[in-house]
Amino acid sequence: MNAVELDRLYKTFLLKKGNGFRRTQQEVVAVDSISLSVEQGQSVAFIGPNGAGKSTTIKMLTGILHPTGGCAQVLGLVPWAERGQLAGKIGVVFGQRSQLWYHLPPDDTFDLLARIYDLDKQMYAKRKAMLVDRFDLGQFIKTPVRKLSLGQRMRAEVAASLLHQPKVIFLDEPTIGLDVVARHELRDLLREWNREDGLTIFLTSHDAGDIESVSKRVIIINHGSVVFDDKVSTLRRRYLGAKVLSLKFHEPPKTFSMPGVTVVKANGYALKLEVDTNLVEIEQVIQHLLRSGPVADITIEDPPLEEVIAHIYGQRKLDSEEQSCQEGKRQDGSREANLATTSRLISNCASLSDSQAKEVRSP
Amino acid sequence: MLSKSIKYMQLAAAYVRLNLLAQLEYRGAFISQVVSMILNDVIWVIFWCLFFNRFPVLRGWTMSDFLTLWCLSASGFGLSAAVFGNSLQLPVLIARGQLDVWMLYPRALLPHLLLGRMSATAIGDILFGYVVYIAVVHPDLPHFLLFAALSLCVAMVFVGFNIATGSLSFYLGNAEGLAEQLRFALITFSTYPSTLFEGAIKVVLYTLIPAGFISYLPVESLRSLSWQDAALSLAGALAVLAVGVAMFYHGMSRYESGNLVEMRG
Repeated sequence: MNAVELDRLYKTFLLKKGNGFRRTQQEVVAVDSISLSVEQGQSVAFIGPNGAGKSTTIKMLTGILHPTGGCAQVLGLVPWAERGQLAGKIGVVFGQRSQLWYHLPPDDTFDLLARIYDLDKQMYAKRKAMLVDRFDLGQFIKTPVRKLSLGQRMRAEVAASLLHQPKVIFLDEPTIGLDVVARHELRDLLREWNREDGLTIFLTSHDAGDIESVSKRVIIINHGSVVFDDKVSTLRRRYLGAKVLSLKFHEPPKTFSMPGVTVVKANGYALKLEVDTNLVEIEQVIQHLLRSGPVADITIEDPPLEEVIAHIYGQRKLDSEEQSCQEGKRQDGSREANLATTSRLISNCASLSDSQAKEVRSP
Repeated sequence: MLSKSIKYMQLAAAYVRLNLLAQLEYRGAFISQVVSMILNDVIWVIFWCLFFNRFPVLRGWTMSDFLTLWCLSASGFGLSAAVFGNSLQLPVLIARGQLDVWMLYPRALLPHLLLGRMSATAIGDILFGYVVYIAVVHPDLPHFLLFAALSLCVAMVFVGFNIATGSLSFYLGNAEGLAEQLRFALITFSTYPSTLFEGAIKVVLYTLIPAGFISYLPVESLRSLSWQDAALSLAGALAVLAVGVAMFYHGMSRYESGNLVEMRG
């Protein structure tokens, strides 16, 4: 069973414009027919620029928002129709919203969460001890949250969301505002839980480091649609088709110019170039450079992930050719699984349409 | 059903404990708020004592009845705001899209959400209500037990009314000001004897601003130890609560999530 399945999930909002009595309403598409699936135990980065529809998607997957169309399942449950049941199986961490009691120590919130999730006393004690150990909370578990550093608070926050042994954890900007050390600690912990406990991670972040460290797969959405869904390593190669060449010369090189090559920085003996490998082979560029002057050192790097992501964010939408190519590739790999998933989702969602209506009326 | 109710009671007790601990983190502020609320209530009672010294009976009500009314209102309001403190915050939480965090737990949304906060001053109201009733009215055991039960009914009226007025935010966008005005109206009317009002206003006091279920039926029940009036008080309280709950869940279909940074406690 997949942990998360989305089938043409669609959400629109009514946006009010204007001031005073002169106001008009406009329908805005926040999530535009997203279809994807995440296997159990996978760690997925779900990223996109502000307003791309990430948070709206997460809110639908956690049962906070109802979609306008399409269907989704998390651990076999339709989130907005079976919110209560699902809440016991997933963990959610919003970087900007805390579930810890601000004036009280994390320990007190843990006790309350045990009551909320109706955990068995012995099981809770064991689980808490394990989380305190693995998240290294011992030093500050009895300190009021307001006196903790942001890094400590986020560690406690993630630990709190794992108290009831969720199968899937949704993390919305968990490293926001954290310093470098705290970020690394949190990323290490998430990676460890994913690897050792098979926890499915669904992460949104604007930090390329989070994506590279925690996730193997990245899904990029922009303007409400999926524009990329593949391995993180593929992301660089595929999108810019670029390499960064840094060179140091024994003596100042001749002026360098070549089609498909952009000089990023030229500083006396050093040269930094960006090579569009779609236009020119990297070997050709190196041969050309060797003729420009005596090379002391040369490094070839992929462009920084931030740059790749910024490039994708800058695009309005994939052109139809590229999009259909991507969809084709995804379908090749899992056509049969997707067909089965879609038909199952549609039948489950249809059977739950009555309970959706109930959900609005009753707790 | 019974075990579910017991578990919710245990959860409520855990929330009250935690909210109280959070309040006690700032003991000076907490105690001063409690004391100032007690003083506020006492000043009003002194004012009415002076009035009843001059006019011993007001439309059939004596000083003792009036004290009973104040004690019931104060303890009922205190219980509602101490245990279900978020009922006072509901319009803000809805308008700002801050219900999200409460929707992530495997608990019924509304009762769980209401438990999330405690008003410190409400503790002062509870203390005032119970202490003055015992010390000044000198009830016998049946009267005291009935008083305790009726204060729960009054708390239900306040909670139900707060939910209903707070839920207006689903329909009006930001109904914080309106909800506050309506809350003040209920508090004002619930601290005057209902016998003062006649005709259309009396109808309003059992419908739009249900102060009659605070300032008349419960007091009448205590005056004559009437189980019939007590039952009517309970029925009225349940009706107000049902209207509030219905408005909230109907309004939830219009709920718009928000993105404010927030902390609990």
